[in-house]
Amino acid sequence: MAVFEHFQNLYDIRLKPRLLRSLIRDRVPDEKHPFSKPSELSIVVSAVKNHGLLSESSREAVDPKHMENWKSSIDAWIERLLLLVSSKMPDKCWAGICLLGLTCQECSSDRFLASYSVWFQKLLAQIQPPSDSHFVKVASCASLADLFTRLSGFSNIKKDVTSHAGKLIQPVLKLLTDDSSGAVWEGAVDLLCSIINFFPSSVHRHYESVEAAIVSKIMSGKCDSNISKFVHCLALLPRSKGDEDSWSLMLQKILISINVDLNDAFQGLEEAETKSNEVIKHLVPPGKEPPPPLGGNKMQGETSNQATEMSEQLILHRISMLMLCCCRMLTNPYPAQVIVPVRPLLVLVGRVLMVDGSLSQSLLPFLTVMQREFICSELPLLHLCGLDLLTGIIKRVRSQLLPHAADVVRLLTEYFRRCALPALRVKVYSILRILLISMGVGMAQYLAQEVVSNALVDLDSIAHGCGEASSTPCSKAASEGLLLPSYRKRKHGTITGFSEEQQGGVGTEMEAVKGKPITPIAVQTAALQALEALLTVGGALRSECWRQNVDLLLITVATNASNGGWANEEKDIFLLSDEPTSTRTDFQLAALRALLASLLSPARVRPPYLSQGLELFRRGKQETGTKVAEFCAHALLALEVLMHPRALPLVNFPSGDHPDFGQGFNCKFPKNIFSSGLKNNSPFPRGILGKDEIEPESNDDELYSSWLGNDEETEASASIPDKHLESRQELSEKDGRLSTEDHQAEKHPSDLPAGAQFPKEGDRGATDAAHMETGGIKDSIMAQSERVQEIIPNNDVRLQDKDVMVPTGDLTANVVEPNKGKIESSGSDSSKATPALSSEINNKVLMAAADANALPSDQGSLLTTSIVIEKGKKLVLEYNSDASKDSFPDIVDGEPDSD
Amino acid sequence: MEVVIASSPVDAGIGCWDLHSGAEQLRYRSCTSTPHGLACVGQRFLASSQLRDSSSSSGSILYWSWSKPQVEVKSFPAEPIHPLVSNSDGMYIIGGGSSGAIYFWEVASGRLLKRWHAHYRAVTCLFLSDDESLLVSGAEDGCIRVWSLFMVFDDIGMEMAKNPYEYSFSEHTLRVTDMVSGYGGCNAIIVSASEDRTCKVWSLSRGKLLRSIDFPSIIEAVALDPGEHVFYAGARDGKIYIASINAETTSSNSYGKHIIGTLSDNSKGVTCLAFSKDGILLVSGSEDGTIRVWDAKTHNIVRIYRLAKGPVNNVLVVRRPLYSNRQTSENSHSSFSRRHAPLLPPPLGKYVNSTDENVDSGAVSVPQTPSSDIMDAPYLSYHVLTKQISELQVFFIFLS
Repeated sequence: MAVFEHFQNLYDIRLKPRLLRSLIRDRVPDEKHPFSKPSELSIVVSAVKNHGLLSESSREAVDPKHMENWKSSIDAWIERLLLLVSSKMPDKCWAGICLLGLTCQECSSDRFLASYSVWFQKLLAQIQPPSDSHFVKVASCASLADLFTRLSGFSNIKKDVTSHAGKLIQPVLKLLTDDSSGAVWEGAVDLLCSIINFFPSSVHRHYESVEAAIVSKIMSGKCDSNISKFVHCLALLPRSKGDEDSWSLMLQKILISINVDLNDAFQGLEEAETKSNEVIKHLVPPGKEPPPPLGGNKMQGETSNQATEMSEQLILHRISMLMLCCCRMLTNPYPAQVIVPVRPLLVLVGRVLMVDGSLSQSLLPFLTVMQREFICSELPLLHLCGLDLLTGIIKRVRSQLLPHAADVVRLLTEYFRRCALPALRVKVYSILRILLISMGVGMAQYLAQEVVSNALVDLDSIAHGCGEASSTPCSKAASEGLLLPSYRKRKHGTITGFSEEQQGGVGTEMEAVKGKPITPIAVQTAALQALEALLTVGGALRSECWRQNVDLLLITVATNASNGGWANEEKDIFLLSDEPTSTRTDFQLAALRALLASLLSPARVRPPYLSQGLELFRRGKQETGTKVAEFCAHALLALEVLMHPRALPLVNFPSGDHPDFGQGFNCKFPKNIFSSGLKNNSPFPRGILGKDEIEPESNDDELYSSWLGNDEETEASASIPDKHLESRQELSEKDGRLSTEDHQAEKHPSDLPAGAQFPKEGDRGATDAAHMETGGIKDSIMAQSERVQEIIPNNDVRLQDKDVMVPTGDLTANVVEPNKGKIESSGSDSSKATPALSSEINNKVLMAAADANALPSDQGSLLTTSIVIEKGKKLVLEYNSDASKDSFPDIVDGEPDSD
Repeated sequence: MEVVIASSPVDAGIGCWDLHSGAEQLRYRSCTSTPHGLACVGQRFLASSQLRDSSSSSGSILYWSWSKPQVEVKSFPAEPIHPLVSNSDGMYIIGGGSSGAIYFWEVASGRLLKRWHAHYRAVTCLFLSDDESLLVSGAEDGCIRVWSLFMVFDDIGMEMAKNPYEYSFSEHTLRVTDMVSGYGGCNAIIVSASEDRTCKVWSLSRGKLLRSIDFPSIIEAVALDPGEHVFYAGARDGKIYIASINAETTSSNSYGKHIIGTLSDNSKGVTCLAFSKDGILLVSGSEDGTIRVWDAKTHNIVRIYRLAKGPVNNVLVVRRPLYSNRQTSENSHSSFSRRHAPLLPPPLGKYVNSTDENVDSGAVSVPQTPSSDIMDAPYLSYHVLTKQISELQVFFIFLS
């Protein structure tokens, strides 16, 4: 039979029906045989997924006969599944349901659209009585959720699907209320979430009953493991109506409910009346009816009855869950414009954060010691939720936080001063970071002091471990090794139970051992990240008072962090469970990132630890294949710009079509600047120069000539050769001695300033001699000395200005001759112009410097170019190695010209 | 779509042209804008403060939605507002009053959140720094002040601070005509122009004057080269001077020190300048009612638009959402655009309303479309299946 003919390879579609049939034959259970090995199913699933056995599509055109064959095998597959779903045996039924869910996900669109409603009916039957197996119900919910997820991709049948989804709500709610299994609840809630997400209007009619069902689950505190799913569902619920009112009402109800619970929980710990009234006042405007309680009126009686017997634990648990719900509502996108009640939210957060377990002075101690102990043990979790809620508020309102920003900052800073538990400090740091990044420099001014002083404390141990750590890196690594596992273990616990107190205990343990407190690595990482954010947004404005300390701190921390060697990321992964915790790698990365920010953040002088930083990054880059290496490479790239800053003119180097004057003109601006105040030597490696000199004429000649060729259009259409000659003469005249140095200048600009008046000259003697043979040029310069005379005044004028502007390397092109009101261009054939100019500049620089008393005598070796930025005060030299390549060949090239 | 919008102090409406094709779009009617009094609020709609005859004591700010030529919302602030700016997400509108006060409105509710006395004379121009946390204002008396918006809203901090402002620059002797700020957050530079014929370059981080450049004519507008290599100064003599920002020039050509060239076509005075997003096309508005688009690389005029007989006093280059385009191209008001064109917010309030505390508690959050992308929708059944298989295996082991 043709159907079973050969197949070519594993991509051949003739293989697919074969595979599918064998699966049906061997692995998928049927009515007759007992179903003993459920693990077989996972083989089926992976085969179907990997080979796309249900996709009914092929990349290339195929014989319709083969397609037909494939199609019939899938028909058989589905027929078998439907048989299984209707089976009396729960295990076979379960297998059928699971595979049907898979089919919803994998089969072709046409098949899906044709059969989804049959499948829906089959699955729907399984979540209703008489079905009673938990497994079957959970699997049905998951398969139904997948059915709707797939359906959400087809917008043309939305109406039909919505009505299907509507039929589902009642049975699902029934599962939630009647069933007793946590797994079934979870499946039902997942299904509800899918429906609310994709077909919100189908839930519209059942809004109140869904709300009541979910709220009662959250309030009862019965579903510990998956409560966050219920919370998520409640937060999604307003989307089913999609209007402003339902969102606001939901948030309002939740806030009121939290407020009521807080009154109970914080009795005796705060002046509950006033705090509570403040929230309510903002939530419910005077004269308006308060909204019905969360979960509807029926809930009210229920909860108030419960309230009497409710344990403190339950109340606190509820508060944190409802705060989580608020947070989700704030961070989930919502399709309508809504008004976020920022003020009451902030008051609520403040209320939670301000309770620290101390007794309110004006109140009599209502609480027993036991009660207080319990509240204190649970408070950190509550604070964590409060901080999460604050994060949610900040993320939601964005720029509209502005009117409240000062309040938020005050709340946070006050809390920060008292907050001593690691996980909470990490959270506060992260909020500070968000605030800094989102609100910019204005916020930085507010927070700088707080961030810096806290980070100094938190990073103190590592900063001061400096001397000792560098000498004995092992001991430090060991101590961290000691610390980490225990910290992680606790951190793991935070998700469910959260026992921060014990974390503090770790610190004190260590303290006892080492004699000084050790801050957990997660806190240190967070502190570094906050410092990074601070430097990023606010490093320049009014930062004098803290900048120096922070820069020192960061280089110390980064050095120490890397001293024990870079962390092995694989090891970290191995040690970790799937819990995201702060590892040594994170810490090192944070240290390096903060260091980079400290180096890059604007400063008036060279960053004091630049070279140490560079060294660190260079070393880190060698850790092949790690995040550290990746980041170090990035840091080196970023720092390159610090070394060679660019104020790039708006010029694409013209491809020769029509670079008009303006472009050429712009080109003359220097590309690279560094401050001579910091570095008085242009580090021009002589080797490079030498090499360049003997290099043949560069390819850029065409470019240069195209500039020159277009100069006629411009207003400064002066004849170029004359001009550059002028500049040369100018140079010669300026020196007044015109002999070897000048000439040398052309050959070796680095040696150029070796004028007689400079002590340096002696040192350069050898070089001078080496280049004496180029004397011919000198002669040519001398020959035109009559012109020189008229140039001198120019120079004088410039010196008064003390401004020097010179073309650099590849910018060789143009120079402004101010007194003439026109522009000199020196192009490729103005070969000597560049060195000549540079020497001229050097002279001017020297003169200017003499005026300003600012130039070190060493200045002589300034090369190619220099700029004075602030008049006569600070010399800024520039150097561009690329540029030099372009310009120097020209020099050589040009010499014959000048003769 | 990147469009040029321009307005005039004479009633010529707001012209709107596609920057790249040059096609004129809808013209928004009845606008007599003040200098710097045209703003595009969060790309959602246009707002302009209006010149008023001297008899009227209140000011006037009008809104136009992209899709309709008529004024849609009229607000009447307590005094005439001259410059108008909006933050980038269009949540706030800030206006400078003729008394020297600055007004800070929340757009969505129209509430006047803050009004403070900023200058002794009328405010002439305003802009927000890069990170939108600093506001810079220039006044008729030549004073320039830098405000931290946080400080402005922090009543407690304000009381403790020595000055309500961060910096106050008084180096300009006459009216500040335009200001522009560069890139770099708190390390940005500011370029200001004044009727005293100078442009001054300031450092925001140091609060110092870096450079003062004398021009042959009064500079009405400045625009900053996005690479911050030079700035363009539009002068009353019709030229656009190119001046260098920080590089020292030996140049002292016929124009003056630091001025390294001009863009000119012998027209009337230049009143306003704006750069396109690509940083190459420079748009200038002129006294003669035309708008020129220059290629800053070649210094050639690429396009000329005509707005009015009278002078142009505002040009902006803004990105316009595409949906409004449909309406202009089709004559009929299609239901599509009506449905999608967002409703305009209520008018701006006249006074700071401090009594009604409940009102000032909200922050309007713009609608976000939940991602209903099928691609990131997780399928559940596979996970449930694997989880249950492992549970079942335990069960079977237990049985056997």
